[in-house]
Amino acid sequence: MPTIEFAGRTLEVNEEGFLLHPEEWDDGLAEHLARVEEGLDQLTEEHWSVIRFIRSHYEEKQGAPMVRAVCKATGLPLKRVYELFPSGPAKGACKLAGLPKPDGCV
Amino acid sequence: MSETDALEARLEALTDEDLARGLALFRGKLGEAEAAYLQTCVRCGLCADACHYYRSDHELASIPAHKLAQVAAVFRAHFTTGGRLAPGLGGARRFDRDMVRAWVEALFGRCSLCGRCSLNCTTGIHISEVLKAARGTLTEMGLIPADLLQVVTTSLETGNNMGISREDWLETVQWIEEEMQQDIGDPAARIPVDKQGARVLFTVNPREPKFFPLCLQASATVLNAAGEDWTVASEGWDLTNYGLFSASPAHGGAIAANLMASMERLGCGTLVIGECGHGFAAARWEAAEWLRQRPGFRIVSFLELMEEYFQQGRLRVDPAQVAERATLHDPCNTVRHGGIVEPQRAILRRCLADFVEMTPNRAENFCCGGGGGQLSMSRYRQKRLQSGGVKAEQIRRTGARLVVAPCHNCIDQLMELNREYKLGVVIKTVAEVVADALVRAPAQPREESHVPVAR
Repeated sequence: MPTIEFAGRTLEVNEEGFLLHPEEWDDGLAEHLARVEEGLDQLTEEHWSVIRFIRSHYEEKQGAPMVRAVCKATGLPLKRVYELFPSGPAKGACKLAGLPKPDGCV
Repeated sequence: MSETDALEARLEALTDEDLARGLALFRGKLGEAEAAYLQTCVRCGLCADACHYYRSDHELASIPAHKLAQVAAVFRAHFTTGGRLAPGLGGARRFDRDMVRAWVEALFGRCSLCGRCSLNCTTGIHISEVLKAARGTLTEMGLIPADLLQVVTTSLETGNNMGISREDWLETVQWIEEEMQQDIGDPAARIPVDKQGARVLFTVNPREPKFFPLCLQASATVLNAAGEDWTVASEGWDLTNYGLFSASPAHGGAIAANLMASMERLGCGTLVIGECGHGFAAARWEAAEWLRQRPGFRIVSFLELMEEYFQQGRLRVDPAQVAERATLHDPCNTVRHGGIVEPQRAILRRCLADFVEMTPNRAENFCCGGGGGQLSMSRYRQKRLQSGGVKAEQIRRTGARLVVAPCHNCIDQLMELNREYKLGVVIKTVAEVVADALVRAPAQPREESHVPVAR
């Protein structure tokens, strides 16, 4: 099983870099994943607003939110979400928020 | 336990009874044509270069004839006289645990069911159909990778492959309707829901409402510009059907029944499959087989419908609005399997200022690497990205900055290839390009059929 090394910890991920144990996620890991998975050197307040919403939605409901809910909660226009996360809401934002891989064509 | 380990554990636990049952399932999937195909390969090797797996890894195991031989060996050992009498001769091999493991690796791990080998087979073997029959056998033996099966299960349980609730779907539709109205400055533009008797039922891939609603918005914009009498459905709106990839007719039929039920409920005349390759092939070509019933309505790809609009003079576009060099990807299930080859090209020639074809193209185009359910099976990700190198090189050679792909599965793979191979391209659906190129006519009074329906 693939792993990533971060801050002295070894975390199991699937072959696409999604965490196998989402409870191991924290802010530092989000920043690390942003650098290595999305090529984002720094996470801005806008990034964090998306990540925090996705994370809290996941913890409450055990799944990825609709992008509609992301826009509604953060007040960001739809097009801005794609600018913030080059790999899109699923492979970008959800992965950074430590979610397992969503089902379907993603 | 990881998904990979779980499948390995199921393999280890296989009993003789399981294997016997698997063999019977396999035999049941072979008609005369398939049985003939399994004895026809002359090992000419021409299929090797037809396969994007072999072209990217040059491994013996990736040659389509080699994958076919794995399946043929079992057929020979168990279902031919020669194989039964002299199992050591003629490449016969019994269906034991190692053989089943080899099938899993070959049929799920090294094949996207793209069918390019079939097209290039000198003896006319429909290789991908035979491999699909064997894949379906594994599925019915419970030996399908769990993440691929999960997509099927989610469809069966919730009516769509991402488990989107009715409430979330309808809220997104309403939101996108508002976004569209603002974007095109037309408060009368609509995304009708459950409009009884609409001429057209438009269906979408759940990926659109969930993560990429701009695709839905573009399609809705085109349908409004053409003045179509259309609707989406509140239930049974998902066009995907991963039964095509699990290769189980039971899965395929149960999922296809959702769309058929929507058509019946709403009384629409034409079922329009949005831009999704496997969804089109499943609904248009496979559903009638799975359900043993010919649908009493027309089923078309959105590409065909858009081209009809152009031919009828219902859309006005200005190619100067999409000036960058653009190329077109041919999804296997839309083009090679689906037979929709020219409509998308006719559309793009009208909408693009600088349209160049990839080489090869049309039915001979290479799979992006994401087909056959590969995108769902995380365990094969490295192989998938490697096999997509062939497509990446095709794109690079065109010099295009825009890649148009009428398939969500392909788009996801192309987005990953874009990053992996540093292509620096933008990827869009055909409808997105049409919406970008649209020239809006001055506002005119709308006919009765465009008045919004109550919801």
